[in-house]
Amino acid sequence: MGEVRVVEEEEVKFEKPVVVEGLPDVGLVGTIAVSYLVDKLEFREIGYVESELFPPLMVVHDGELKNPVRIYGSDTGVLAILSEVAIPPAAVYPLTRALTDWFKERGVGLMVSITGLPVPNRIEIEEPEVVGIGNSKDAIARLKEKGIEVMLEGFIVGTYAVMLKECQKRGVPAVSLLAQCFPVYPDPGAAAAALRTLERLIGLEIELGELLEKAEEIKLKARDLMRQTSTSLAEMQKNMEQDLPIMYR
Amino acid sequence: MLEWDIRTWRHDGCLEPLYDIENRENEIIVTIDLPYVSKDNIKVYATEDVLEVMAEMRSAVSWERWGSIQRRITFSRFRKQIRLPEKVNPDEASATFRNGVLRITLPKVRRQVSIKVE
Repeated sequence: MGEVRVVEEEEVKFEKPVVVEGLPDVGLVGTIAVSYLVDKLEFREIGYVESELFPPLMVVHDGELKNPVRIYGSDTGVLAILSEVAIPPAAVYPLTRALTDWFKERGVGLMVSITGLPVPNRIEIEEPEVVGIGNSKDAIARLKEKGIEVMLEGFIVGTYAVMLKECQKRGVPAVSLLAQCFPVYPDPGAAAAALRTLERLIGLEIELGELLEKAEEIKLKARDLMRQTSTSLAEMQKNMEQDLPIMYR
Repeated sequence: MLEWDIRTWRHDGCLEPLYDIENRENEIIVTIDLPYVSKDNIKVYATEDVLEVMAEMRSAVSWERWGSIQRRITFSRFRKQIRLPEKVNPDEASATFRNGVLRITLPKVRRQVSIKVE
């Protein structure tokens, strides 16, 4: 009960692969960004993650039965993790532990979570800014080397926060990229900003024109996942990200 | 809480938009996500306690194999009626539409006043 299993259907053959994770969070920034990455760079499905803690559902795509939480790989040495369902709060810790154990076994060189940073004035922002968080001095140095602004203070809440911590415990270098976003609306503009920063961080080229052209279609198609995710995030006290942590120093 | 989302994917060409309500000290801010909509095609009506928004999409949006029913489904407009958490003054309400999001500011009827402490 409560176990999360990472199932590899195709062996990971790369040394020190980069993993890009886009699990549902505010503005669905990571989900939209990683879906686009997987589609645009023609990643192939290499595995999935299963658990009794996930909603009892499967997805049908082009008549084919699929798990909602899937792992993709490409010939560039980049792996991607994508979910089509909101992660229930009870599954966050077991899921991140299972994934980070797998990252350690596969010798992952860098784990990158893509997510959003909700801002109340997003409606007025044309070009969302992106900040990074690293789980070690080396990871922070990597962000700074690429000219990515680093978050200095604040609470971080959700799967990506636990993922950073679990990677830290296992010595897996990890960063999160947070793009300014709408908290409760799918935000393809923020996803594009996050992907531009990812390009700089890992030296990948991604053509972003189609993402911005199809922004309205994406917003409409993602609305149900956005609703599920908003409910799940409220349970995780996501609104704490707007608070200042107490610091004595 | 799981929401039975089929209610929001109606089969009359009308779609319920995603929306958010912020209850501030002196005003209520409602934002509504309206993809495929232009400013000129939005109608907003307000009373003291109900807000109604109707918006026509620039063109109808169709999906060939929608959901488990696998039927063609077409949407051409959004409609949402929202019961407000407090009474507002609709005559002083204002609205802006930027980046596909409608933002309506509704001043509350009973505003808080500052009381001098002696």
